[in-house]
Amino acid sequence: MAAPMELRCWGGDWGLPSLHPESLIVMVYARFSGAPLTVNTIDSSWRTAKGDVPVLISEDTVISQPAKILNFLRKQKYNADYELSAKQGADTLAYIALLEEKLCPALLHTFWVEAENYCSVTKPWFASRIAFPLSLYLPGKMSREALNRILLTKGGPPLYSLTEVEAQIYRDAKECLNLLSKRLGTSQFFFGDTPTTLDAFVFGFLAPIYKVCFPRVQLQEHLKQLPNLCRFCDDILTCYFRLTVAGHSPAGQDTADANLQKLTQLVNKESNLIEKMDDNLRKSPQHPPRKLTTLKLAAGGEEITPLNRLSP
Amino acid sequence: TAAEPWPENAALYQQLKDEQILLSDNASSLAVQAFLQMCNLPIRVVCRANAEYMSPSGKLPFIHVGNQVVSELGPIVQFVKAKGHSLSDGLDEVQKAEMKAYMELVNNMLLTAELYLQWCDDVTVEEITHPRYGSPYPWPLNRILSYQKQWEVRRKMKAIGWAGKTLEQVLEDVDQCCNALSQRLGTQPYFFNKQPTELDALVFGHLFTILTTQLITDELSEKVKNYSNLTAFCRRIEQQYFEGHDKDSSTTVAARSAKRSLLR
Repeated sequence: MAAPMELRCWGGDWGLPSLHPESLIVMVYARFSGAPLTVNTIDSSWRTAKGDVPVLISEDTVISQPAKILNFLRKQKYNADYELSAKQGADTLAYIALLEEKLCPALLHTFWVEAENYCSVTKPWFASRIAFPLSLYLPGKMSREALNRILLTKGGPPLYSLTEVEAQIYRDAKECLNLLSKRLGTSQFFFGDTPTTLDAFVFGFLAPIYKVCFPRVQLQEHLKQLPNLCRFCDDILTCYFRLTVAGHSPAGQDTADANLQKLTQLVNKESNLIEKMDDNLRKSPQHPPRKLTTLKLAAGGEEITPLNRLSP
Repeated sequence: TAAEPWPENAALYQQLKDEQILLSDNASSLAVQAFLQMCNLPIRVVCRANAEYMSPSGKLPFIHVGNQVVSELGPIVQFVKAKGHSLSDGLDEVQKAEMKAYMELVNNMLLTAELYLQWCDDVTVEEITHPRYGSPYPWPLNRILSYQKQWEVRRKMKAIGWAGKTLEQVLEDVDQCCNALSQRLGTQPYFFNKQPTELDALVFGHLFTILTTQLITDELSEKVKNYSNLTAFCRRIEQQYFEGHDKDSSTTVAARSAKRSLLR
């Protein structure tokens, strides 16, 4: 039995366990392979900035970057790929490369570079989850890094302006989505009926595009025209995260149940209290004694008070 | 225009073969040459010291066909397709997706590893890259140009997360990539069985160059040699498409029997 493992990552919203693609990849892979992970989402109570997110901590080892974390999990015998043939393993690597080269730049752009999206959604969301004063600095840094990465890998001649680069990366991303859709076809997962590393990566990149509500959504609109990819995301969310339409996670479900219990107890207490008050009122001199009490005496001392009768 | 037939004087430009060209550019150039050979389109290789500056995108190689200039394998494949020649028309949609994915794998891992080795491994940079890259130019221009290029490449490596990798990790990645390619190729002659495609050209370009280029150590070529079907694949393509041509091709018989030296 492996030592307990903790995953530190960004939290979720809009029905997703995490908004951050890399964090999502690790979370969903852990669900696929049955790895027991305690997920600690970053919130404003954290004092230090975690540079590399997501981060897996197991005993003394600290591992960052999804590929390395997944490798570590596999070594701990949490392997979602054990049924794959070597050729399918090779295909996995190739498709992951395709995702990183063709889809990732547009995803980064939608989240971090597109001005309307960044200012109205991304920045407030991330800033609310980072402690002050880092919340003033970190989102801006992440945005700059995203733009830098896009320009260094995709910019350069013959694309000379940012708009041309943007046009190119969205074209590439849409083509990539089309290719993924063709590859998935009508299967449930990319390699048959059980989910694997590739499904984790595809889900990690697609789900944020699919679910997060941005003002500028050209990529989401394109994705929605590919129903098998949408179905793929929804299936994983309902099966592995048991997320309902409202977006309650299993942990949320438990707290909901606990709340319900507390509420029921409270209602019962209240009703008991009301009964007591009622009883007192009845016993008070203003009101004539009820037939009930005479009945009680007549019944020969059987203690059937209204209070007992109505308590759960 | 796209309607014009392929001219006889089409030319491919790259850097100077013996003194200047580096591993990654040689691989890219060879990939394009192999692709054009597979399409049966004649091309002659022209070596120019300033080829990098002539290229419309700054990347090599580029081809000059009629009055058009196109650089890099991806756009060249599109261009050739517009002229009516294609190697991947016979593939179905899923196979095309697979082909594109594997091409990205080669670019993502092999090409980046080559760039890393050339520009981020200090020993290689000092002994091979700097002398070669600036060789056509007098001092101090040669040093300035090659430092400038090195800075540019290192910036890109940092942006994609490769700057923190060690040489061992990079070689691991190369091994993983070769393993994937080897598994995918299996016992077939080409990646999509009987007919070569642009993927075969790309893989050939990189693997053959790695196998025949002498670097500081043999670690890189050893990684490829571990997979016998990959070396057989390279030999097969070389024999079929590069021998018996009296062109000035960078893959002459001499290259096969003796490793070409890239040292000075």
